[in-house]
Amino acid sequence: MLNTWMEKLGLGKDKGIEILAPIEGTAIAITEVNDPVFREKIVGDGVAILPSRGRVVAPVDGTVALLFETKHAISLKSVQGAEVLIHVGLDTVKLQGENFIAYVKTGDVVKAGDLLLEFDMEKIKAAGYELITPIVICNTVDYSEFIPCNRGAVKELDKILIIKK
Amino acid sequence: MKEIRYIVTDEIGLHARPAGLLVKTVTGFDSNITIKKGTMESNAKSIIGVMALGVKNGEEVTFIIDGSDEAEASETLGIFLNENL
Repeated sequence: MLNTWMEKLGLGKDKGIEILAPIEGTAIAITEVNDPVFREKIVGDGVAILPSRGRVVAPVDGTVALLFETKHAISLKSVQGAEVLIHVGLDTVKLQGENFIAYVKTGDVVKAGDLLLEFDMEKIKAAGYELITPIVICNTVDYSEFIPCNRGAVKELDKILIIKK
Repeated sequence: MKEIRYIVTDEIGLHARPAGLLVKTVTGFDSNITIKKGTMESNAKSIIGVMALGVKNGEEVTFIIDGSDEAEASETLGIFLNENL
C-alpha cells in the first residue's frame, strides 16, 4: 500500500528521467565523438546523434535554460531538474548563427517534441563542419547512472538515454 | 572571501570547451564560487550558468570565492585562467 502511494507520488524507487531523441538520425556513444570536450565528458555525460534531418525538438518537458546567441546550441532544464545541452555539430559556434533558425527563446516553457531549432545540414557540411550533435547532461554530478538506449537509427522522441540520481 | 578579476582572451569566449574546463577546475572545492560579468552573475560550478553569461573575447569577469578552502581554490583558479582563458 505504502509502496503504491510512494510510486504515485514519484517517490521511492527512482525510475530515472527519460531523455528523448531531439533529432532524427543515428545515435552513437558520446565517447565516439571526434572532439575531446565531448568525448571526455568535460561538458557532461550523454549520447550523440548524427542528424539525418535538420531540426531539433525538445527532448524533455521543461524550460529553455539558454538559447545561445549563435543558435547552434540550446539547453533545457527538464521539469525534474536535468540540464540537457544539445550542441548541433562541432565547432559550429564559429558559424555565428548562420544556417540556424531558432523557434524558441531563453525562458520559454516547452513540451517534449516542440520544435526548437532548424539547421541547414548541407550548408553546414559544405562549410567544413561535422554535424554530429552531442546531447549531454550538464549537471552530470547530480546523477549516478547514465543508461544509453536505442543505438543506431533513431526517430525524433525515441528514448535515447535514462539518467538516475 | 577572495576576488579574482580576469579578462578573457580565448578567441570564442566562455563557450562549451572553456566553460567545461572551468567548471571541472572549481567543482572539487567546497567554497562558493560565483562568476560575474557586469550586473549578471552565476554559479561558476554550473556549465549552463557560466555559458549563460555569454562572455566574449576581451570581456572582464570577476570571480568571488568564499568558503573554507578559498585560498587554495583561488590559487588553482588563477593558474587555470592564465593557462586556459
